[in-house]
Amino acid sequence: MSTLTELGTLDVLEAEAVHIIRECAAECERPVLLFSGGKDSIVLAHLATKAFAPAGLPFPLMHVDTGHNFPEVIEYRDWYVQEIDERLIVASVEESIAQGRVQDETGPRASRNRLQTTTLLDAIAEHQFDACFGGARRDEERARAKERVFSHRDMFGQWDPRNQRPEPWGIYNTKLRKGEHFRVFPLSNWTEVDIWAYIQREGLKLPSIYFSHQREVFVRDGMLMAAADFVERLPGEEVFTETVRFRTVGDATCTACTRSTAGTVEQVLAETRESDVSERGASRADDKTSEAAMEDRKRAGYF
Amino acid sequence: MPVESPMLHAVAVGSVDDGKSTLIGRLLYETGHLNADEIAHVEEASRKRGRKFLDLALLTDGLRAEREQGITIDVAYRSFDAQGRRILLGDAPGHEQYTRNMVTAAAGADVAILLVDAANGLTSQTRRHLAICAMLGVEDVIACVNKIDLVDYDEGRFTELADELRAASKAVDGPRITAIPLSALEGINITQRSDKLPWYPGPTVLEVLHDLDRLIAEEAFRMPVQWVTRYDEGGADVRALAGRITSGTVRVGDEVVALPGGKSATVSAIDVLGEPRDMASAPLSVALHLATDIDVSRGDVMAPVADPPQVATRVKVTIAWLDEAPLTAPARLEVRQSARLVPAIVEQLHERLDLDAMKHEQADALEANDLGIATLLLAQPLVVQPYAANREMGSMVLVDPGSNRTVGAVMVTEVLDS
Repeated sequence: MSTLTELGTLDVLEAEAVHIIRECAAECERPVLLFSGGKDSIVLAHLATKAFAPAGLPFPLMHVDTGHNFPEVIEYRDWYVQEIDERLIVASVEESIAQGRVQDETGPRASRNRLQTTTLLDAIAEHQFDACFGGARRDEERARAKERVFSHRDMFGQWDPRNQRPEPWGIYNTKLRKGEHFRVFPLSNWTEVDIWAYIQREGLKLPSIYFSHQREVFVRDGMLMAAADFVERLPGEEVFTETVRFRTVGDATCTACTRSTAGTVEQVLAETRESDVSERGASRADDKTSEAAMEDRKRAGYF
Repeated sequence: MPVESPMLHAVAVGSVDDGKSTLIGRLLYETGHLNADEIAHVEEASRKRGRKFLDLALLTDGLRAEREQGITIDVAYRSFDAQGRRILLGDAPGHEQYTRNMVTAAAGADVAILLVDAANGLTSQTRRHLAICAMLGVEDVIACVNKIDLVDYDEGRFTELADELRAASKAVDGPRITAIPLSALEGINITQRSDKLPWYPGPTVLEVLHDLDRLIAEEAFRMPVQWVTRYDEGGADVRALAGRITSGTVRVGDEVVALPGGKSATVSAIDVLGEPRDMASAPLSVALHLATDIDVSRGDVMAPVADPPQVATRVKVTIAWLDEAPLTAPARLEVRQSARLVPAIVEQLHERLDLDAMKHEQADALEANDLGIATLLLAQPLVVQPYAANREMGSMVLVDPGSNRTVGAVMVTEVLDS
């Protein structure tokens, strides 16, 4: 038994996230937790587990699988779901392509990042989900900084940034019409450093690609991209071996890695505190297409 | 023992063109919270717009319409550390039609950073913002007299405006004012002093944020039940009451009552997300175990038997009306408060607050961004306290059951009956 101890930032962020998760579980009919095997969704799933323990989760996990994955992440995903003994739904972009719902991009810059939106919205409709927990943080990106905790999506999955529901005092309006849904972001007020500090505090395991390793890479637009079978290279994009780690985990066609020798959570945390480049700036090619790339994708129903 | 809050909720408010976004950009930049790629992005965006300087406003104005119109249309949140203390900063728009976002951002804030243009002086918008801070119980205002460079770093002008600000706050029984002369553009007195203002001996904005005392208030224990956890333990059906402590402290052995039902029991165990404790305080999320099984469900509020909040079906409130369609009485709406949603009728609209003239006036309707005083009749009893006594028990939002929109932010001023 311990008594009242000094309260830290992580304690407050954790309490807030758990409050949001419990609100959504209580108010929404069919929530789902979007789980990619990335560090933010791992923290989110861990918080959800804590929110209801020792009982199990009152909602399933769902992975939107682009088919262009890092194998280490899929391995981790399956291990984790077994470890916490919960249900995982896999929504597959490959299947959306096979069904003619979306068309695969071709060429060296082909990415399935955009295609995920259709697969996600189809899965939401199929399972009649009315709330999707996401691990997005406000410090990640300019449009995210403006988004509410309970972020409303209309019947088309669209976000209307100019018409968001106010959330004074953290009171959330959870009313929906049929066919609409929420994206719920319990980690809204966390930073990248908070995520790593929490991973350290809770002793969470992560996919190995978050730590320093040797990888075949090539340089594109100044970023280190992993060489994979499904990524066509442009002339002059030479493959070489580098010591790297990933700061984010997304579709392998648009997620870059950084040179790093950090092999433990402690070392990554120290590097993150020192870093001069934002996480998305370092690793996401998809945000660089225009000034409002994220806003435009979110309006269309992206994560 | 009161505990110092590790996090400070701040809100930045001001009129259009007061330089608020520039100040926030500066704060992030000078505390090392802006990364090289974000600065590169601002540089490029500044060039595209023909700016000859680094327009840090482009950093927080993230939406297309904002960049096109050069205004802030929605609340943006940024986190940064002020010498080890976490600041969660809401950037609230000053545009009149977006006052609803100011209410959203300032509700729950500990401190407001208010921008005033040194050349233009106080505007009706400044007074309105001070009045809203007063109403929302924001106790401290850092009044930034910005663009001091445009008035030749004049001490006299600063003193005059600081006095006006203090008087304006006093007139609305408002927050404590700490006035700081600054230039967001030149980066003066945000985190660094300047020899251009040798006459100013006071703190910078960052120093005030770091030093501000914000103790978690020693109010009575309150916990709205969000979720009843049930599980099997050695063949026994165990129930635990999950929720976030909104105020005070609960200890094992405390006699607590579940309201509005009124049944009481002894706290037998406290589970803080997997860790058993003998006491827990706001703002932690916990699960309470009771020694005897009493009827408790989502929406009930747990409180000490010795110091319970009131239960009422009629309350007098201040409403900040947020919707485009005006409010007229009587109106059938829904009230969302802690973990409850109940039908409600706005029985009577008593007055509208004219924030520009600082007076109350008779009104038949509240327009968007209006503040008014009304009586609410509730379909089911709610556990309430006046907002001034307990923020969480005294705050609500109004929802339009037709459109599902959040149409009002509400503060209880008086509990009328039970």
